[in-house]
Amino acid sequence: MTGSGPRLDGVSDAIAAASWFAAVGEAWTAADQSEAESYANTLQPDALRIAIAHDWHDAARITQDTGWSRTWWNVEEQQRQELTLAAEHLFGRHAVMTALSAVMAMAGDLVHGKAALAAARAGIADPALTRVAAGAAAMACHQLAVATIAQAPEDHPFGIKFRLFAAGRWPLCVVGESLYVF
Amino acid sequence: MSETQPIVVKTVADLKDAPDEFREAVAKLVISHAINELYGAQVFDEPAIALAPTPYAKWLTCRVAMEEYGHHVRFKQLGEQIGIPESRMVPSDSKRPLSIFEFPLKTWEEFVTIKLLADLAEILQVEDLLHCAFHPLRNLARATMPEERFHAQFGEDFAAELVKTPDGKARLQDAINRYFPYLPAFFGGSRSRNNEIFRKWNIKLRTNDDMRADFLNRAREVTAKYGLTLPEYKEAA
Repeated sequence: MTGSGPRLDGVSDAIAAASWFAAVGEAWTAADQSEAESYANTLQPDALRIAIAHDWHDAARITQDTGWSRTWWNVEEQQRQELTLAAEHLFGRHAVMTALSAVMAMAGDLVHGKAALAAARAGIADPALTRVAAGAAAMACHQLAVATIAQAPEDHPFGIKFRLFAAGRWPLCVVGESLYVF
Repeated sequence: MSETQPIVVKTVADLKDAPDEFREAVAKLVISHAINELYGAQVFDEPAIALAPTPYAKWLTCRVAMEEYGHHVRFKQLGEQIGIPESRMVPSDSKRPLSIFEFPLKTWEEFVTIKLLADLAEILQVEDLLHCAFHPLRNLARATMPEERFHAQFGEDFAAELVKTPDGKARLQDAINRYFPYLPAFFGGSRSRNNEIFRKWNIKLRTNDDMRADFLNRAREVTAKYGLTLPEYKEAA
């Protein structure tokens, strides 16, 4: 184990600076496409196409699609757990969990507020759906934090996924052959 | 100050001037809501998230778990403000929680049952603090209530989904049959000395039996809405 504790100042700054949900439903750009493809390639190289959710109702429908990919979820969960173990090997469990908990404390209400604002702007008054968005964003913050503590490379899938969120998008899930992004 | 006169304590600072019995009663209540030794980041390991059937349900469960954890944190912060030692708010090994939701879970239906019924019980407990004579605790109850109501609604919404199929309904009914018997005991004993003291000082308003009866009625109503039933409940002697 290393002597000094895990440093997540950069992660906290990135979370605070991200444009959470600011671009959902807005025109899709070449940069969005490029970033989404980078993320998709980490999941299934050259096998997924990018599909766009058009509005909040679409996002709700897609995230409840019975054809969603459990493989996508399970792969990310396995990565998260492996990174957590690697981080604990570096710094010890208490230090890692304390640092990650601080990120969660900072990020949780922030992303929920941003999701609620974005939904309200779109005329959506659905406390469950804003919590779904907030939960997805909070998990992405946690994944980024774990990857950072474990010293994963910058092009780790969790880093790329976070960049999509930071750009105001919401990467939803894989359904069939498509990675959906809102 | 006479110990028989009702009092109102408006701030944490004023608590030090309240009678010993009042202060200890407040401490007991705060501790009961604060105990949770889990790290906040452990919410992402909650079994309920893995059990949830869709990304929508997973992320919603994640956010609900974060809110639940946040409740414990707020009560713990109040405990620290009123001077409760850390050692009283950290569970002993025998009380170490397995999860934010404090129930071992093996199926999604079990989690839906907990949200549907255990959160109903929690709402009743929080409701009983909405007129608390210790205003910081009253205010905390007010802050917590909207989220508790949402969590109970979560249970209803997913119950409504599950009962759309005979198999889902049967699994949910089975989970209710197994979990419900644990819940009435959450309201404490019929002759509870703690409850007597809470009511003496207007920290809480209702007897444990009154709250338990209210819970049973509400639980019957909410389960009946979805064509479900409660197992027979026999009051302890």
